[in-house]
Amino acid sequence: MTRVLDVARIQLVNWPALLAYPPAAVAALPLLGWGIDVSNGQTAVGDHEVYLLPMLLGVAAAAHLQTMTQVFPFTLGLGVTRRRFAAATALVVVGQALFVGLLLVGFAAVERLTAGWGREARIYELGALRQDGPLTQWLAFTGPIVATSAVCVLAGVVFQRWRQSGIYLAVFAGVALLASAGALAATQNWWRPIRSFLGGQPSLTLFTAYPLAFALALGGTAWLVLRRSTT
Amino acid sequence: MNVVRTTGVTKRYGALAALDGVSVTLAENTIHGLLGRNGAGKTTLMRILTGQSFETGGTVEVFGQHPYENADVLARTCFIKESQHYPEKFRVRHALRAAELLYPHWDAAFAAELLADFAVPTGQLLGKLSRGQLSAVGVIIGLASRAPLTLFDEPYLGLDAVARQLFYDRLLADYAAHPRTIVLSTHLIDEVSDLIEHVVLLDRGRVLIDADAESLRGEAVAVSGPADAVERFAAGYEELHRERIGGSLRVTLTGAPDRAHPGLDFEPVSLQQLVVRTTQHHGAPVAAGKEAR
Repeated sequence: MTRVLDVARIQLVNWPALLAYPPAAVAALPLLGWGIDVSNGQTAVGDHEVYLLPMLLGVAAAAHLQTMTQVFPFTLGLGVTRRRFAAATALVVVGQALFVGLLLVGFAAVERLTAGWGREARIYELGALRQDGPLTQWLAFTGPIVATSAVCVLAGVVFQRWRQSGIYLAVFAGVALLASAGALAATQNWWRPIRSFLGGQPSLTLFTAYPLAFALALGGTAWLVLRRSTT
Repeated sequence: MNVVRTTGVTKRYGALAALDGVSVTLAENTIHGLLGRNGAGKTTLMRILTGQSFETGGTVEVFGQHPYENADVLARTCFIKESQHYPEKFRVRHALRAAELLYPHWDAAFAAELLADFAVPTGQLLGKLSRGQLSAVGVIIGLASRAPLTLFDEPYLGLDAVARQLFYDRLLADYAAHPRTIVLSTHLIDEVSDLIEHVVLLDRGRVLIDADAESLRGEAVAVSGPADAVERFAAGYEELHRERIGGSLRVTLTGAPDRAHPGLDFEPVSLQQLVVRTTQHHGAPVAAGKEAR
């Protein structure tokens, strides 16, 4: 475990990208939201939502791509096993997501206290994400960040093993899979039951359980690719 | 005790055999020279020994165990590659700190001395360093790690002659004070010939020489003189190389115990010459090859 923590510390050398840029982005959202409201001419015109949170997912997760393509080959040369590197990556991903999720809970509280930044804007407490308590709210914020980070980890591992051709193939296969699934759902008239199923799920399940299960699946795939990766 | 033992190790990339039945043993607390031309398989062998690549066949043992994903083995191993890429956000001090976290025998004071010797600025981003400074960082990590098995894969790229000599001097002094197993892959054989105690020469994935450096130094001799006399003397010995100029002949022989013969000149053969002649003798093409990855 000590060795895993040491590898995590090495990954955190890039701490600005992991732990400073995401909070900066979190803090900047009200200003960006205000800008959007102004440009839309909707300043203080009643309760409204500003969809900026998805941008935050990209900011939080991108650093893990570098972790896999740059820090992994470096530490492998220093005698770190792939297993320990993967464990350290999981630790950093979850730790970062919990940290950013906690910040979001705080900013959501400020948003409530200030009546939506003084103009009834909801940037953090989007309706779909809203939870009854701070703990469940924290989990609902954390789940999507973990899932997005897992996508970046997998992309980094694929690049590390198969370079650009691996990325091209993965993107092509992913798009083909999604398109095929969409076409199948359309031809079988499954969209309505799918919407009904998802609509009936508790918000915590949608934003925590499913993203974490998705992240676990991607993490498992990333491990299968990583265990035979060379530098 | 042997730190490394490989038996019939092969590594294939499609039709290309980067390693073809390599069987070597590397003794503990010895400086081993892993020599050979580009594409001989040196880097491939070191990558397999450090669990960074996988053999296609044969058996590999490092500290008595297979190195792949073996934390016990890899914690005692440090591999400094010529092509080592560092994370672009890392500064020199970050790379050294990483090594300090991972190597239990890390000597921070020694690392600081080496930083001063090689004039490497600790606050500099690794991506901004010159090729020579990057090599120096690798050398510093390799030496200060004091890993029981340290492998240097052509660590001198970009280092000038003075810096290379500094590396050799520091390596030898630290090795004398803290004996460990060092594998030094290099093309600059003359520069390290006094340093290495055991030689493994690879050529096109096969072992051509696996012997003590001391015995190798005495094994080959260059004999020159009138062609007829040299021909008569050389009969029965293994001939590595011959050059004829007019009526004179010069041959490089191995296993010739008699070093005195009337009318003939005998000259010792340097380790580099022995490696060159042995490689040529086994029919390697002369054109520069490409190192297999």
